[in-house]
Amino acid sequence: MLIRLKNGKVYDPASGIDGEQQDIYIQDGRIVNKPVGDFKVDKEYDLSGKVVMSGAIDMHTHIGGGKGNIARILLPEDHRADPVARTDITRSGCGHAMPSTFVTGYRYAEMGYTAGFEPAVLPVNARQAHMEMADIPILDKGGYVLMGSDDYLLRMLTAKKDQKAINDYVAFTMQAAKAIGVKVVNPGGINAFKFNQRKLDLDEQNSHYGVTPRDILRVLATAVKEIGVTHPLHVHGCNLGVPGNVNTTLDTIQGIGGLPMHLTHIQFHSYGTEGDFKFSSGAAAIAEAVNSNKNITIDVGQILFGQTVTASGDNMRQHANHKYASPNKWVTMDIECDAGCGVVPFKYKDQNFVNALQWAIGLETFLLVNDPWRIFLTTDHPNGAPFTSYPHLIRLLMDRSFRNDMLATIHPEAQKMTTLASIEREYSLQEIAIMTRAGAARLIGLQDRGGLSAGNWADITVYTDNADRQLMFEKPDYVFKDGQLVVVDGKVVSTKWGTTHVVKPDFDASLEKDLKKYFDRFMTMKLGNFTISDDEITEDGRGSITVHPLKGEVA
Amino acid sequence: MSALTFTLKYRPDQRVDMSPLVCQKLATLELAEIAALTLQNGKRNIRVDELFRITGFDAQHIVIKNGFNKLDFIGKELEGGKITVEGDAGAYLGLGMKSGEIEVSGNVGLYAACEMKKGFMLVNGNAGDFLGAALPGNKTGMKGGTILVKGNVGERAGDHMRRGNILVEGNAGDYCGSRMTAGTIAVMGQTGRHLGFAMRRGTLLLWNSPQPSARFNDCGTHTLAFLPILFASFKKLNSRFADSSTAFNRVQRYAGDMSEMGRGEILVKLNSE
Repeated sequence: MLIRLKNGKVYDPASGIDGEQQDIYIQDGRIVNKPVGDFKVDKEYDLSGKVVMSGAIDMHTHIGGGKGNIARILLPEDHRADPVARTDITRSGCGHAMPSTFVTGYRYAEMGYTAGFEPAVLPVNARQAHMEMADIPILDKGGYVLMGSDDYLLRMLTAKKDQKAINDYVAFTMQAAKAIGVKVVNPGGINAFKFNQRKLDLDEQNSHYGVTPRDILRVLATAVKEIGVTHPLHVHGCNLGVPGNVNTTLDTIQGIGGLPMHLTHIQFHSYGTEGDFKFSSGAAAIAEAVNSNKNITIDVGQILFGQTVTASGDNMRQHANHKYASPNKWVTMDIECDAGCGVVPFKYKDQNFVNALQWAIGLETFLLVNDPWRIFLTTDHPNGAPFTSYPHLIRLLMDRSFRNDMLATIHPEAQKMTTLASIEREYSLQEIAIMTRAGAARLIGLQDRGGLSAGNWADITVYTDNADRQLMFEKPDYVFKDGQLVVVDGKVVSTKWGTTHVVKPDFDASLEKDLKKYFDRFMTMKLGNFTISDDEITEDGRGSITVHPLKGEVA
Repeated sequence: MSALTFTLKYRPDQRVDMSPLVCQKLATLELAEIAALTLQNGKRNIRVDELFRITGFDAQHIVIKNGFNKLDFIGKELEGGKITVEGDAGAYLGLGMKSGEIEVSGNVGLYAACEMKKGFMLVNGNAGDFLGAALPGNKTGMKGGTILVKGNVGERAGDHMRRGNILVEGNAGDYCGSRMTAGTIAVMGQTGRHLGFAMRRGTLLLWNSPQPSARFNDCGTHTLAFLPILFASFKKLNSRFADSSTAFNRVQRYAGDMSEMGRGEILVKLNSE
């Protein structure tokens, strides 16, 4: 079947097209060139005056893994207050801050998103994370496997194993956990928490292993680069949320020595200690460092006001923040030899000085970083706000007067501490398309996604241009997923199953001999069960695996 | 004035969500409009007049006749007015009720007066588990008002209770007063195991000695001046609690739960003196 999307105004940064009127042809799920000679169009959509982008990609969203279920159990009120009834084509569900899997898929699709990536897949819980994501309809998904606080790696570092051995271990873990990237959370800090350390600076040693976060970042970033994974090491740095952590973050950027590194939810890592409240914005310094270090990419982790829940592997910082829990209940737990987990509900308030300034710091970061290919639009769902607030965030970025109106309503002392009012920049549609589509696909290393040229999968979102960008991005006219029309006028009209994106770097199999001993001695799972096979994702007939090439490989 | 009366025509197999039929929601509706309201019944929606014969007109006093144990959410978030149930009521009777009065002639199910804010509830039969408790996962149960149960109550009565009175003429099940933050639970009959489990503050007033617990410290005998005042406040009730012969002011006091903050108390009537 040949589908023609006629006369749309196309924003496709992947091929450098910025708002040109073009026709797009879809056949067998992919975008194709205009057929030559006589051809018959089976279905045509007249998109005159409409804005056409590829489907949006959320490159950092907590949609799978145990912490989501802990948040759901912890916050039944979040689910009682937001029930979603079933329809003939969609299933029932519930939840505002941490929606159920099906509702997650529908709500993402209804905003024009066609892929989401879970940034904290614990190796030992990876099977559950993939099974949960397998229940998210419409979206493509993938995961970054969490390393850096696992005892096996720390033992290797203590034993001064060479980089080659570490590369093998990283490649093995990525394959075992079916990952497309590697994430490190509070490098070594989650482990140090188990040895009763309650903070760990970049150059502070783990009291048991004698390893510093700087060591961990360097070997992991090197490993990711050397085994050829496109997505740079995905780093949730030290000292999340601590005033003064801007220096740690700047130090982290310098310390990585030019290796590719992605700093995630950097808003939470951009705090200074100036002012009457000893809490200030470090966004300008961070933006300057990002602008001048081309090896660095970031996503913001914007906070938006309202009730949400924070779910993180960073048990050290979540434990420290539990006293701000609202409602007052929280969970911190250990995940055997891998990592940890902390779930703390949060209510960000615009009349709270700290929250108000966090909001401004996130926006400052967005507006001061020049290159939209190296900054990504996230709220670190659900930690800064639920993903459903993205259209509001886009309006804040694209509409200066709206932004300044909002700024005028927040805590007055916070207004004095931010330069936001003086920043004139407004994001263009093309820049939004880069951040949420082409740039994200390039950063993750997705082949044939995030673009609208022939050969790409037909993940396409069509909006009605509207000066109110929130309304525009809340309710796309059409969303196509792999060529199938899934959303009309912001409502799901049909569903399908997305694929799971992975990479499969090679490793020396002899490493498994030592690993087996380690698993038999320390882990709850045998090594043979630890590795997830392709069949587990595909055998139910609805999941599939898409393997992306490593750097230097040809697909 | 004649009470707005819903007489159950038959007992449906599936449970019925009665929450639309509360005084404040019906106050401005005509009888025909009330008849056309729909109630969730299992996975179906049914019209009110399919299930009930409707008579009377005063929405400030609703009477439900032939009540049985699958009529859930009666008086949900009731705000003023009175609901009388002749027969039994299902789960979540008076969930989150804000004011007004509910009286049931028979027994009530789970979670009666759950997260009740204010008002008065009278149960002439027995009440199920989690009387005056918080919904699962919530931190605050009953926050005010009075519940009087003439029969027995199930387990976990007053779980997470914050304020108000629960008066039980009969026996209480296990974990009575568990996780209480504050408030008063008075039990004339026997209490079960784990009385006051993890209670932080609040008062459990007993006529009979509970099973001993390592989590409560015996604080000796006391004459408490507030008890006559408390009993005086029960005088207007149609209850054995209003009977002056049941009142007392000499008690054995136990403080706990010592594994929590330990500022709760169990006061047991001293019989020997």
